[in-house]
Amino acid sequence: MIISKLKEALICFKAGRVTLPYPFQPHEPEGDFRGQLVVDVEKCVGCGGCAEVCPPRCIEISDPSHDKRVIEFFLERCTYCARCVEVCPEDAITASKEYETATNDRNDMHIRVEVFMSTCRRCGRCYEPPTPLDRLTVTGFRPPVGEEQP
Amino acid sequence: MTTAELIRRLRESFGPAIRSVAEPVAGKVRVAVAPEVVVRAAKALTQEYDARFLITAGIDSREERGCFDVDHIFSLDNDNIFVILRASVPGDSPKVAAITPEIPAAGWAERELQDLFGVKAEGHPDPRRLILPDDWPDGVYPLRKDVKYGDWPPVGDETTDAPYPFKQAPEGTSTVVVGPFFPVLEEPVQLRLFVDGERVVDCDYRGFYNHRGIEKMGDSELSYNEIPFIAERICGICGFIHSSCYCETAEEAMGFRAPRRARYIRGIMLELERLESHLLWTGIAGHILGFDTVLMQTWRMREPLMWLCEKISGNRKTYGMNIVGGVRRDIPKELHPDILGVVDKIEQEWSQLVNAVEGDTTLRARLVGVGMLPEATARAIAVVGPTARGSDLHIDARADHPYAAYDEVPAKVITHPGCDNWGRVLVRLLETLESVRWIREALKQMPDGPILSDEIPEEIPSGQWGACTIEAPRGEAIHYVLTGGDNRPARWRVRAPTYANLQALPSMIKNETIADVPITLGSMDPCFSCTERVEVINARSGESDVINHEELLARSRAATERLRRR
Repeated sequence: MIISKLKEALICFKAGRVTLPYPFQPHEPEGDFRGQLVVDVEKCVGCGGCAEVCPPRCIEISDPSHDKRVIEFFLERCTYCARCVEVCPEDAITASKEYETATNDRNDMHIRVEVFMSTCRRCGRCYEPPTPLDRLTVTGFRPPVGEEQP
Repeated sequence: MTTAELIRRLRESFGPAIRSVAEPVAGKVRVAVAPEVVVRAAKALTQEYDARFLITAGIDSREERGCFDVDHIFSLDNDNIFVILRASVPGDSPKVAAITPEIPAAGWAERELQDLFGVKAEGHPDPRRLILPDDWPDGVYPLRKDVKYGDWPPVGDETTDAPYPFKQAPEGTSTVVVGPFFPVLEEPVQLRLFVDGERVVDCDYRGFYNHRGIEKMGDSELSYNEIPFIAERICGICGFIHSSCYCETAEEAMGFRAPRRARYIRGIMLELERLESHLLWTGIAGHILGFDTVLMQTWRMREPLMWLCEKISGNRKTYGMNIVGGVRRDIPKELHPDILGVVDKIEQEWSQLVNAVEGDTTLRARLVGVGMLPEATARAIAVVGPTARGSDLHIDARADHPYAAYDEVPAKVITHPGCDNWGRVLVRLLETLESVRWIREALKQMPDGPILSDEIPEEIPSGQWGACTIEAPRGEAIHYVLTGGDNRPARWRVRAPTYANLQALPSMIKNETIADVPITLGSMDPCFSCTERVEVINARSGESDVINHEELLARSRAATERLRRR
């Protein structure tokens, strides 16, 4: 009985101390960690690809007027799959290394992007192909059936 | 046997009762038969062709053809063939003859069919509710197409408020109610043990308290490429298995395969996940038995593995690597030394642990001959994974139905003739070493190339189907996908391994003591959890006594302690 306890103690001593002094010492995640999303408002073109591929549906799009599009990220629902990062044609969304997201304020988990959507009055279209929207298709974006291809 | 021969022999036996045969992919046959002969055909498959029952999938095809399809899925393990036996029953009076009297393994599957589709399985020996809650109104069947996703059922009245018809305790026994949260099961489960003194005579089961309706979500809300991420959340421990299984199945239904490199990456991640799961399980098994050093040390070994997965995939556990057509992240050459370093270390420490366990007399005394599941019973109930292999059944989806890269790098199947808890423990311990070997081999042979297929069809026609199994750490998972319109499947059927294994529980704990119930359940690794309390009701006096988690654990540990003192 005592011998087996001593054996166990020996095994534990051999392993040494492995517990990290987290949170007193910050712990950086490994590799390309998929942490909280960061959106670069300047880069967003308002294509809506991110909202279309989001499995938990935490990205919502509304068009309050014909020249303004609002994209809202409700990150409390986010499952950190980073599909939006992958399909974004302008690399406006990145997954940061931030994982300590506990908060008292819901607003900390909301990102609101307002994009001014202008249309060319002369020719009806503004971009020479390949436009950012064309680039969506090469990143695995598949629009829902019944809607026109962008 | 080839599929052509199988079809010819079935046609000979059943003649015009076989209405149509389809084989879109080699080795996957769907045989539509007249509903009258479905029992006979199922019996013939299991007895003459040595087929193993996997699962039943109901399909609501009333809009297209005015009927419900009942697809019984069988697997011919020696020939790498899946047979889907389809009976179409009229939409206005759906009922089909139950195959459960002939094939006990179908018990739950047919009860589920009754609950979710309202297709009555006539002649079922135990037609009680399985999945729907007690107060769910009659006549509302959630997986039918006319029930929309997000619909709430009408509020039940007094008639639906009746208590669940639990089995009556046999004469002279007391009932021990474990649950609705079970101390060693992760899932909320209610187990009613009928005990005579310390011995368990029989038990009754009520579960699915946490049914999340993921299948409904899959066929009414999500799109093909969103499902992998939801599928990954079916299980907290073997999530990647479900996303891989869905992707392989969807790819098969769409008529292509993922590129070779992607399949190798899937295989490597699957084996890393198996390592993670087996290490976790060994720790918990040690904890139940009172060997807390085992818990601490296996979990210490496991942590570098979690960090490795985080480095490869971007997350410790929900890797999010799969999409239909391939994987999202590569495993570049630079990561190979990291992977090899971690698995080498595990192999070295694990070999020591296996030696220590094999030589431990207390463990042997506690596990050998306990929780017996004889080979014949295991075959009849169609258990899977280490539970089956611990009963000397040679079943392993990696060898029988190779997926991912297992056709190119074969995995060795480990079996043990013990048929008891000891056998199941050893199978798991040795499988861990086999996983390490496989990872090493796969890294060596991994080809270059794309990781995402360019064959993904632009238009996915509806009505195509696929069925695949994947060997999860605790048994084989099966997914069945039927393509539909609107960029999503018309039906996505999932069966997790514990679904098959739990049905063997009554025969495993029969004649065991209450102290042996936790480890017997634990030996099949049915998603562990620590939970609240156990209630003991004396059937004769009606007195109720509440035991909490600590006390049940203490009983299990005291049994070990008694053996140690000897």
